[in-house]
Amino acid sequence: MEVFGDEAFNVPDSTDWLDTPLACLMPVEQAFRCHVCKDFYDSPMLTSCNHTFCSLCIRRCLSVDSKCPLCRATDQESKLRGNWALREAVEAFKDSRKALLEFARAPPTIQAAPPDLAGPSSPTKRKATEMEGAKEEDQETKRPRRSTRSTKTRASELTAAILQEEEDTTPTADPDYVDQPPDDGLVACPICLTRMKEQQVDRHLDTSCPGSPQPASKRRPTPAQTPQQPTFSSFNTRLTSQTTTQNQKPPERLPALAYSMLRDTALRKKLSELGLSTHGSRQLLEKRHKEWITLWNANCDSSRPKKRSELLRDLDEWERTVGNPGTAAGGGQQGLGLMARAQAAGAQIKDKEFDGKAWANRYGGSFGDLIKQARKGIKRQTLDGDGGENTGEGEGEKEKETETEKEDSTPAELPTPARREVESSAAPTPMDIVPPSSPPRHKQGRDAGTEHNGQAPGRDAIAEDTAMMGEQVIPGTPEKGQWETPQQQQQPPIAGDA
Amino acid sequence: MSLNVAQRRLLQEYRSLTNNPPEGITAGPISEDDLLHWECLIQGPEGTPFEGGVFPAELKFPNDYPHMPPSMKFLGDVFHPNVYPSGLVCISILHPPGDDPNHYETASERWSPIQSVEKILLSVMSMLAEPNDESPANVEAAKMWRERRSEYETRVKVSVRASLGL
Repeated sequence: MEVFGDEAFNVPDSTDWLDTPLACLMPVEQAFRCHVCKDFYDSPMLTSCNHTFCSLCIRRCLSVDSKCPLCRATDQESKLRGNWALREAVEAFKDSRKALLEFARAPPTIQAAPPDLAGPSSPTKRKATEMEGAKEEDQETKRPRRSTRSTKTRASELTAAILQEEEDTTPTADPDYVDQPPDDGLVACPICLTRMKEQQVDRHLDTSCPGSPQPASKRRPTPAQTPQQPTFSSFNTRLTSQTTTQNQKPPERLPALAYSMLRDTALRKKLSELGLSTHGSRQLLEKRHKEWITLWNANCDSSRPKKRSELLRDLDEWERTVGNPGTAAGGGQQGLGLMARAQAAGAQIKDKEFDGKAWANRYGGSFGDLIKQARKGIKRQTLDGDGGENTGEGEGEKEKETETEKEDSTPAELPTPARREVESSAAPTPMDIVPPSSPPRHKQGRDAGTEHNGQAPGRDAIAEDTAMMGEQVIPGTPEKGQWETPQQQQQPPIAGDA
Repeated sequence: MSLNVAQRRLLQEYRSLTNNPPEGITAGPISEDDLLHWECLIQGPEGTPFEGGVFPAELKFPNDYPHMPPSMKFLGDVFHPNVYPSGLVCISILHPPGDDPNHYETASERWSPIQSVEKILLSVMSMLAEPNDESPANVEAAKMWRERRSEYETRVKVSVRASLGL
């Protein structure tokens, strides 16, 4: 671990047990870890082929391949069922892991006894080999065995404790099944046990069934249903202690869409109904919708569901890394932090709901300064050639942050024609600068992308987008200045490059 | 710094590889700024012409790892039917899930999210020992391996010695 001293990088792993006396816990911990993410199971789900994965992991796998990653049997997301007993076992193990590991790693205190005995016994051993031979040696071999046995007993005691903990929590779900159905003229869904009218069951199974038995209090009657029978209440209280999110209505799972059947407009409508960005290519729209459904449905399986805003953040994160790899293409070359920030800014500006006005207000001052400085620089440049370049460099440093937030962070080389334009005109109007420079910037984006790993479209899209934004904004008078600046802004790097 | 799924999983694998290293394999990220780019060293398997050699290679992971496989490239000269002259390794475990359009491989041999860096490197080791000449990446090597085995072995041995600076 010499490379990663940082705590954040110090992930717990099943191999942590290896150099402790409790090495036998490694396979135990492995059994509590998902085969896909190698982390502890998070909302474990059972497939039709009886394999278990984290909800999010298996949903992602199925959306890529429709097959179980372990046995490659074909499966569907809708057939996944929660593995609640395992969920509790994992939680219990996770809770006790730290203490267990500390215990295992601590220098043995009681166990120190056998080595102590072994210490003084070593001279005896010498004597033994000289004099008594076999008898002493017999004792000698017994001692280490005793110590290993005590380790084992400890381990088994601890495992017993874990098992006890599991036993304490698991069987609470059972009373549901032996419960007498309340005489309300309704029937229970065979899967989630929600009570409803008989004719509703089929439709419920097809659409809204959450897929696993729901604790009674989660089973809110739909408007058509009669209120719950009082006989249920006794179980309610017991079940409430089990799951933490009893009082809020469980979120409904979202159905998958047949994207090939949907037109662009319909898909955009679906996305905006869900409150998601409708920006990007058709392919991106489909990917975004799919990812949202995956995130959402996986969240429905969780014992501690996240808030919608947190899910949106997850989606945003996905968008920046996996969903739009073009923007992340440079990650390998440049500092991750800078790239991430630039990408975040890119995605923000890209967003249809991007609040240009607020942005303008926030950065209006620095934009104004930039314009002033740029104008000054240009004037000086036209006056005494190289003189202006130094100040240009200074500006670049100062306003670097604004620029990174505004644009992607590739050190921009303004193509020569545009540059000449900047140099020649003392006070350029935005129309002078933006149109000639934007097409070459496209090319530049593409080049940068291919250079890194050949995935350019995303970055290209951003470049295109910003160019488009530029054109859209230029006609409006107040914004003029802001969109002028980034172009001028790019002057300093050139000065440095040239 | 928050880690995404791919980064977290790679960190986990790195922990596991350092705590419990498999024989003949060393691997890890080149820098902590970029967990998606690893370097590894593979020992030439015993009893093969690659014996005694140590082969550096780089692994590049996609952002959606482990759902998609990494790519692997030998950094030195490896004359082998399943290694492109550029060093790129061509084995089924590194091919994305789904059926191969060329029908060389069945889906069962291909990448699955349950695979890991360790499994890839072990597969590459066994690939060095037993080339698969059905879909050769290096046609010259494949032909030589099939038709003039001793010449192939001599050539590999020479390049292994050269790579060790002998």
